[in-house]
Order: sequence, then C-alpha cells, then structure tokens
Amino acid sequence: MKTIIDDIRARFSVEWEHEQRADLAQIGVAPGTVVPLLTWMKLHTPFVQLNHLSVVDWLEDGEFQLTYLLTDPHGHRSLMVCTRIPREEATMESVHELWPQAVTYEQEINEMFGIHFPGSPRQGVPFILEGWDDLPPMRRDFDTVAYMHAHHPSRPGREHVDPRVYVGKVFGERGYLHDDD
Amino acid sequence: MEKRKLPVLPVAAPPEGSRPHAPLGEGCFLGEEELPKAPALKEALATIKNWFRAQSLWVMAYGTGCGAIELRPLTTARFDMERFGMAMRPTPRQSNVLIVSGYLATKSLKRVIRAYEQMPSPKWIVGLGSCTINGGMYWDSYNTINRLDLYLPVDVYIAGCMPRPEALIEGFKYLMERVKKGEANGWHHYLENLDWYKANQKKLITDWNLPDYNW
Amino acid sequence: MPLLPKILWSLVGVLGALAYGLAIGGIIRKVMARIQGRIGPPVWQPYLDLGKNLSLRTATHHGVMSFIAPIFRAGGGIGLYLLIPVVVGVPALENFSFSGDLLMAMYFMFFGSLGMALGAAEAGHPHSPIGISRGLSQMTAYELPFALAVVALVAQTGSFSIHEIVAAQQGGWLHWNLIQNPLAAVAAFLAFLGMNMYAPFNIVGAPQEIPVGPPTEFNSQFLSLLMVGRATFAVAKMVLYMDLFLGGATSLPEAFVKTFLIYFWSVFVGAVFPRFRTEQAIRFFLGWPTVAGVAGVLLVMLNR
Repeated sequence: MKTIIDDIRARFSVEWEHEQRADLAQIGVAPGTVVPLLTWMKLHTPFVQLNHLSVVDWLEDGEFQLTYLLTDPHGHRSLMVCTRIPREEATMESVHELWPQAVTYEQEINEMFGIHFPGSPRQGVPFILEGWDDLPPMRRDFDTVAYMHAHHPSRPGREHVDPRVYVGKVFGERGYLHDDD
Repeated sequence: MEKRKLPVLPVAAPPEGSRPHAPLGEGCFLGEEELPKAPALKEALATIKNWFRAQSLWVMAYGTGCGAIELRPLTTARFDMERFGMAMRPTPRQSNVLIVSGYLATKSLKRVIRAYEQMPSPKWIVGLGSCTINGGMYWDSYNTINRLDLYLPVDVYIAGCMPRPEALIEGFKYLMERVKKGEANGWHHYLENLDWYKANQKKLITDWNLPDYNW
Repeated sequence: MPLLPKILWSLVGVLGALAYGLAIGGIIRKVMARIQGRIGPPVWQPYLDLGKNLSLRTATHHGVMSFIAPIFRAGGGIGLYLLIPVVVGVPALENFSFSGDLLMAMYFMFFGSLGMALGAAEAGHPHSPIGISRGLSQMTAYELPFALAVVALVAQTGSFSIHEIVAAQQGGWLHWNLIQNPLAAVAAFLAFLGMNMYAPFNIVGAPQEIPVGPPTEFNSQFLSLLMVGRATFAVAKMVLYMDLFLGGATSLPEAFVKTFLIYFWSVFVGAVFPRFRTEQAIRFFLGWPTVAGVAGVLLVMLNR
C-alpha cells in the first residue's frame, strides 16, 4: 500500500494521505488531479476497478467531498481517492469514459446532491425520484421535516420524543441507565 | 420499581403556508360504508357470495416495503396461510386483497393505485405496519407517505413495526369475518368518493401520468 | 339409447366430471401441502375458489377473442370428455363416443390451448404470450410421443374407435395395453407428465417467474370458466388414458380408482422434481419418450 502511494506522490500532488488498514488507504487530491490520477491508476496499477463513487456534504465548509473507491481485485486492496469541490454550482469532471458503470453513480449523485457531471450521459434523467421539483433531497440544507409537513399530512395525535431531550432527562448526566433508576 | 412515565414532547407546528393536516375521519374510509339497498333476493344472494369471498381471499403478491418480509413466512410450513384458503396471486386481475406492507414511497403509491384499480371488485386493502397508519419510523421522510387512508380505502390495519406473522393471520381472520358479514366495503367508498381520492393522489404525485382510472 | 336422455345423461356426466376434477384439484393441493409439511387448504377449496370467482365483478375489456378464449378452453375440456366413453357397457356413461374417433379426441386436446393462445395474446399482457409460446412448443413436443403411442395402439387394434380399443382389452389385466404394448405405454405416460403441466414441465405457468402465464389477464367469471375447463379437461385426459391403456372401466368405482392412479402419477412426479426449461422439456420429449413410441410402433409391426 505504501509503495502505491509513493508512486502516486512521485507523479501527482497529494494533499493528504491516511492508511486506515493494511488493505485500505485514503488519499486527498485537488479536483483537477482526479481524472489524470484515475486514468493513470487504471492503466498502470492493479487498481483497475471502480467500486463506488460517493458524496459527503460538508455544509459548514461549503464543500462536497467526492470519494472514488478503487479496488485491486487480485491483491484485495482498496484505495479511496477523495476530493473536495465547492458547493455552489458544484461541477465535477466525469469518469464515465474510464468506467461505464460510473454513469449510474453520476446520475444518482446528480439527482440526490445536484452535482453536475458535464458530458456524462443521463444527467438530469430521473433515477429514483419521480417528478421532483425541490432541492436535491440529500443535500443537508434540504429540510425533510418541513417538506414532510408540506406534502405528507400526518395523522393527528402522533407524539414525538426528541432523542436528545429524552436521553438528557432520563439518563441524566451519566448518559446511561443504571439499575437504581 | 414503579413504571416511569416517559417525557413526551409535542410535535413542532407545521411551517406557515403548508398543507393543513386533514382531521381524522374527514373524507377517509373509517371502516363503515353502507352499500345501496338491493331487492331481498339480491341481498340473500350477496350473503352467499360474501360467504364464498371470505373463504377464498387471494392476496396480491406485491410488497411495497420492509413488511413484505413478514408476508413470506405466511406461505411456509410454520404459518401456512393456505389453510384459510388464502393464496398469493401474482396479478392484480386475480387478487382480492392488496397488502400495503410497510412504508409506501410516493413512487410506489402510483403503482399501488394502478394495481388496486385493476383488481376486480369487491377488493380489500390491508395496511400492514405503523407506516401505513401514521408514517411509523419514516414519518419525517421526504418520500414516504404518512397516511395511507388519504389515498386508498383501508379495510384493516395491522399495527406494529413490524407485526409478526401471527398478527398478520389475526388481521386476515378479522378481514374474513368482516367480509363474511358484508362490512368491508372500502372499495365502494373508493368508487363513491373517487373525486376526493383522486384529488389527494394528484396533490401528492406531481408528475401524474396515469389514466384517471386504471381499468 | 334415444337422443334426449343421452343428452341429459351427458350433461350429468359433465357436471360429475367437473365436480370430480375440482375435488382432485383440492386433493392435489392437500397432498402438496402435506409433502411440504403444511396443513394445507381444505379439500373443497377449489369449489370455494370457483364460487368466489363467480361472485366477483369484472370491468375489463380486451377484445372479443379474449372473451371467447375461456369458452374455447372450457369447450375443449367438455368436448373431449363427451367424446370418450367413461364406463363401457353402461349407455348412460358412454357419452357420444361413436360420434368421433380417437383422432377427433386428439384434435380436441389441442383445441382449448389454441383458443386460449389467441385470447391470451389479445389480452396484451407480456406474460401471456411468453406463457403461450412456451406452452405451445411444449405441447408440440409431447404430442409426438403421444401420437406415436396412439398409432401403435390403433395399429394393434386395427380401429380408431376408442370403444373398440377398450373392447380389445377386456378379459383380465394381462390384456391391458399397458402390458400388451409396454413401450407405447411408456411413451404415452411420459407425455402425460407434459400434458398435466406439473413439475418438471410447469414452465408454462411458471410460478415465481412469469407468474401465472397465459391467464394473467383473466379474472372473475373468465377465470372460473378456465377453472371449469381445466377440471373437466383433466378428467377427460384421465379417462382417455384409462380407456387406452388400463382397459377402460366396467363400473364407476373402478373408473375412479384407475383415473385417480393415472392422475397422481403426474402429481407425485411433480412433487419431487424441479422445473425444466422449455428447451430442456422439448429435448426430453423428443428423446427417450419418442424412442419408446417408435419402438412401440415397431413392436406392433413385428408382431403382425
């Protein structure tokens, strides 16, 4: 794992790295580096398989983090390539030419987070939602409760227990339940 | 040790301008629906028909949510719903009971409406799990409905999250009893109040591309 | 026997066949349930299902042919039953066996399925044509060994009349065609498995796959007509096999016992076998059953 990261360091600028397990490591790169890095990895390293493409919404930082999970199918190792893009007008280069299955991930991310991948087919085509006309629902600034109240009438009489208040009142400062309680 | 009373907080009021909550019972099917009066002979015939219907409930094999996992054991040796004459039918044309099993996404609601309207009358809906009653644990989700009875007439609710197969059998037996007595007439309520139901459905489903009634 | 009483007796016979066929359906469901370790539905469940389907309302319209299809299906079953003598020697239960010969009966076996194919295709559900194409190809395949077995029997007896085939087998069980021409019997009884569409040849309906196949779009009264057709067709097939291979019957109890055994041959095979795909089923029927049929014909030719 160390050697592959050293190889990457020699060719690309890596912002940070973190070796989580012997078979799993993460590296952070700038958004512009992602596609050259992935192309190089697919062509010259055993990490040829795109397992997953996921998004984390860092609302407070005003950024989205995209994580490309690459796997070496014979060595049973995985490398996560992370990058952060600004939240406003979020756009990212598409990798669908390297891995055709990326089209589906990019379509879903486009629908759920509103990140645009220019050139990727099926952008804007509904993936799970039908007739959605609000903020992309997985963004953290999308208020699900308000949306629920606006669209899905509840049955009156439902009582709601706020977990934070409930835990504080019942379990006290300790934070756990004792036999004497 | 005395039983502690749990602190219960009211739900926050819905934001301004949002759709007001429909009060319980306004327009919904609450389990009571009078069929139009028929001649005595027809009434007697209906009694016989109901007797047949109650003992041969065919269930639409369509699971909308996680509750469908509790339906599978019903066909196995342990619970065996076939002893009550119930069978799974894979096509709405031959089904009499539609089970909305658990949470219902707005996207599934479209398919459920379509399947329900294609079933031959009389037909019944069983709402399975608390999700169909008040949203259950998915009450604040953006894509699951909270009250099934706003969109379709529910004849029997089976509460729980999830109800065990025994509870399901109990619910089905209750449904059979009501069918035998001719009390479960949600399908008639649906036809009589079609405008109300359609308005509710169309309010929720923004890209309405179904026909007005799926024959 | 005069015509009018004959018609009346035949009607009684058809109703009896329907009742028997439905009861057998119930027994099968019970047997299957017991094999799977379940309690199972009551034996009279098919009657309840029939009554239930009759008391539903339908509002579908797919076209004229799909309305006629269940009638074709039921007509195929009832017509086949009417052509076969149930109990030889009792005029009331011989039906119209002199009106048509064995070829006519074989045509009637195709008749219902062909009508069903036209109607189900018009209903428009994609599962229906899939089931139909599978059913017709499987039917064509099992028809070959069955036809060969019939040819063997006809050559042996020298007549196409079912009545004479039965008459030629009288005088003890050693005279039955099952013993006289075992190869033809093997061919026909293997074809019977395909005819009844239990596993391993139940790809037509294919539960869990193309759910119910041809009758997907048929509901309420149409479905009850299909149930009627299925029940009478099953009884007619059993009676035909009894007449061809087990020496017919001289009394009703004998007929019950023999038909029951014939039918449950396919049920017990079905209870323990997985399912063939269509091409596997065709390969099976064109393999050993056909070889047995050809050998049965040759046996007759050599014995002459």
